[in-house]
Amino acid sequence: MYKLLKEAFRTGNVTVRYPFAPLPAAPNFRGKPHYEPEQCIACAACTIACPANALTMSNDVAAGTRTWEICFGRCVFCGRCEEVCPTQAIVLSPEFEMAVLDRADLYQTAEFTLASCRNCATPFAPRKEIDYVVALLVNAGLPEADAERRRAMLEVCPACKRHSEVVREAGSSGSGWHQIGVTP
Amino acid sequence: MSMQTVAVPTTAAAAAESEREQTARLKKTLLQDIGRSIYVFRIDAGGCNGCDIEIFAALTPVFDIERFGIKVVPSPRHADVILCTGAMTRAMRRPALRAYDAAPDPKIVIAYGACGCTGGIFHDLYCVWGGVDKVMPVDVYIPGCPPTPPATIYGFALALGMLDQKLKAGQHVEAPDEQVAISHPHVPYTLRIALEREARRMAGYRQGREIADSFMTLLDHDDAKPVAQRVAEFVARENDPRLTEIVRSLEAICTSVGTNP
Repeated sequence: MYKLLKEAFRTGNVTVRYPFAPLPAAPNFRGKPHYEPEQCIACAACTIACPANALTMSNDVAAGTRTWEICFGRCVFCGRCEEVCPTQAIVLSPEFEMAVLDRADLYQTAEFTLASCRNCATPFAPRKEIDYVVALLVNAGLPEADAERRRAMLEVCPACKRHSEVVREAGSSGSGWHQIGVTP
Repeated sequence: MSMQTVAVPTTAAAAAESEREQTARLKKTLLQDIGRSIYVFRIDAGGCNGCDIEIFAALTPVFDIERFGIKVVPSPRHADVILCTGAMTRAMRRPALRAYDAAPDPKIVIAYGACGCTGGIFHDLYCVWGGVDKVMPVDVYIPGCPPTPPATIYGFALALGMLDQKLKAGQHVEAPDEQVAISHPHVPYTLRIALEREARRMAGYRQGREIADSFMTLLDHDDAKPVAQRVAEFVARENDPRLTEIVRSLEAICTSVGTNP
């Protein structure tokens, strides 16, 4: 008994003061994914990496928008979205206070505009993604005028690119890069 | 408390409505005038036991949820709070409902963990109903896989009206001239790629990105000190042999690419 009491006094109080005092998170603790929509290019890499499908993306071609959505209730905090994000738009924060009373509060969405194809006018890729690629080309040392010329190529949907490639291969001068005004 | 009746069988709509109002009123009374410990009954509706381990971790002396008078009881007949973990499998749906019905009426249901909230990683399995709220009305959702003991304490505090909810539904619509910033634009593009690749190869994907990021911040920094000195200071500050090795390797890449670190 004396030994036990001695041990108890030696150890002291181990209980954390948590709800009354903030709890410091351990280093590398993976908490609530912190998302910065301004930094997101809507490339959907995170939605492919997400093992729990907590991150989803859907295109609305009629409205020309792409909607990104996270459900914190489904997230397993693995950090794969952070791994694959090319622009660090999503980072796991040490935040853990996520309990909610209403299920709707577990969702966070972001809506992005899609750029239309220069050839067939179908929305196909997020505008921010194309802008980011052009900015990256300029940053990598390409002259600005060249990068802007490449933009014309970037703003063509894969289907039209394939089509024009086939036409070019066949030696015909129908629709193709000539019409878009770009030499690939 | 939000009430969603999903699978509670009703005979007359009006009677059910009054019953629901009654339950809501009783629930408020439960929270205000309980005057004793909150008894929690735990249902495991097809979980992996990760959540259950964290619940018991919350009962240990370090987190000691019993200091708030939250007690786990072995029978639903004693329960004020039903804590439901697991993705609600087909096999556990009926026992879970029986336990729910056995609990006396002003009761709070907490969906615990990613599986309890939405079905989690198992949400599209053939045998999974996908969340506690598919079979019983849920008052509080505690996400996490599993929720840590502090998250559990927070969830209970929220359920008992002691703390306020922090997470709110968010919606962002892209602004017309929104542009994404390139990270470390002053580091040459090829070097950036090489550094990130090497750091990720050596440290694993997530930590590698973080290490590459902090290293490139050192390169990027507009400072009077030479880069080598800044890197040395960083390594000394962190004092981690693994990090030191990775940073040395990144420095070697800088030298080979031609940028003098």
